[in-house]
Amino acid sequence: MINVLRSEWIKLRTIRMNLVLVVIAVAFPLIVSVLIAALNNNDEMNARDLLNAVQISSVVTAMLLGVIGAATITGEFGFGTIRTTFAATPKRMRVIIGKAIITVSLAMVVEGLVVLLSYNVGAAILTSRDRRIDLVDAPSGRPAIAGVILFAAIVALLGFGLGLLIRNTPTAVAILILWPLVVESIIGGILSAAGVDQPFKWLPYNAGISMANPDSFEGGLGRVGSGLYFFAVAGAITVFGALLTNRRDA
Amino acid sequence: MISVSGLTKRFGRKVAVADLSFEVHPGMVTGFLGPNGSGKSTTMRCMLGLDRADAGQTLFDGTPYRSLAKPLHEVGALLDAGYVHPGRSARNHLRWVAASNGLPLKRADEVLETVGLSAAAGKRLRTYSLGMKQRLGLAGVLLGDPNTVILDEPANGLDPEGIRWIRDVLVYLAEQGKTVLVSSHLLSEMSLMATSLVVIGQGHLIEQCTVADFVDRYGDHWVRVQSPRVATLVEALQAGGAVIAQVDATTIEVRGPTTVDVGELAGRYGVVLHELSNQSGSLEDAFLKATASVQEYHSGVFTTTTSTFTDGTDGRRADVGGAS
Repeated sequence: MINVLRSEWIKLRTIRMNLVLVVIAVAFPLIVSVLIAALNNNDEMNARDLLNAVQISSVVTAMLLGVIGAATITGEFGFGTIRTTFAATPKRMRVIIGKAIITVSLAMVVEGLVVLLSYNVGAAILTSRDRRIDLVDAPSGRPAIAGVILFAAIVALLGFGLGLLIRNTPTAVAILILWPLVVESIIGGILSAAGVDQPFKWLPYNAGISMANPDSFEGGLGRVGSGLYFFAVAGAITVFGALLTNRRDA
Repeated sequence: MISVSGLTKRFGRKVAVADLSFEVHPGMVTGFLGPNGSGKSTTMRCMLGLDRADAGQTLFDGTPYRSLAKPLHEVGALLDAGYVHPGRSARNHLRWVAASNGLPLKRADEVLETVGLSAAAGKRLRTYSLGMKQRLGLAGVLLGDPNTVILDEPANGLDPEGIRWIRDVLVYLAEQGKTVLVSSHLLSEMSLMATSLVVIGQGHLIEQCTVADFVDRYGDHWVRVQSPRVATLVEALQAGGAVIAQVDATTIEVRGPTTVDVGELAGRYGVVLHELSNQSGSLEDAFLKATASVQEYHSGVFTTTTSTFTDGTDGRRADVGGAS
């Protein structure tokens, strides 16, 4: 298993596109929080507001990490290297688990870095502008930060699972991105119109995002419940994709 | 040694490989021949567990591929040199392959040196020509110093020097006692390096034998005769039912009788011979003839594989003789 992890890590870091995506994933929330901290003239801006900005901008980071997760497997099918991979490691589940571990670990490290950097840099700028900023002001701050990191990890897993299932980079990435932006909005809207109470709590992405919500929230599935629900959906897709990949011709 | 037994693979309703069994022995190059679409690549993918066979199994020294813990140490395979990520360098490509089987990363540079790609080791693979990718593919095969080597069309895209080089490498590997299975449609190349042959058509085994036996069995055979009084011979031979082709005023090609028959006849008529030699067609001729019969099989003349096929071949051979 160690060999598979080493091999997958080499694969991941030797593709320039992945490096570019990671740089954007880190830079984007950082720039957003620097701009917000530097340009906001609201004296009342506190830790919760900053965290809110970090959470929203880091959804982009999570998406990019999901793209890496999808491409880590669709790229192999696209270029045919999956045959070399499975010939070198005929126990396919090892490869799939190895890829999932590398993808999710990368997502957690990168998103952790993103949250750490963008919150602290933002806070430092605000502090230098004599604005008092303290996580104590946001009671749900720490759980929300953990939520942001876990959200990115699950989106990366979801991307990987979709990639296993679909085997095609553009399609997998399109579904990964259009699902929250379009599909869940439409379904949520329809369910609301149909009179369903709190429909969004059952929509996986929305559940995932509420896990990272800096506000303590009532109703819904709760922070842990929402996170577990999103994880269950992403996990189920990945397991299904893994079983298919194990059975199909490579 | 590789033993394939009862291998069957269907794609939907199309049978790509049908109950295929053959053995590949160590110490020689075994050529894997068949027309395009005959199931060579599918067979190789099934052997490596990449395509799931519907029936049958392949054993490498008694072990199925999927049970090999570190397969690169046992089996080196090159299915398609194009199976690389264009954005990676050759060195990094080989490094991830090496890492997957616990091989030291420096093996990547060692095998790149072996195949003469050291200078291009850091170049991204999108800049590689097909010939360079074939060399890289062979480097990948050599990574784990395996006892068994399987190559699908390795000479594809190589220039004459490259073809000669890959032939020398494969013959060398076989001489080291390794088991070498190589598919190719370049029959002249195959005849230069392969000792043994596995020939398939429509997913069925046509023949497993040595190259010499194959050419003997399926190739065209004739006797070349040169004599100043060739006309006398022609008359006598034709009276005996031989088929004669006149090459020039003093040379004929005789199909039917052996050199012994022709020599005895010449002696009886007191004809001086300047040349009396056995001639046989190339592996290519033999291959085309053997696989042309598969088309007959395809059209429903045959009901089972090997035995009836032989009948068909004999029939064909007679046809060819009569036509010429």
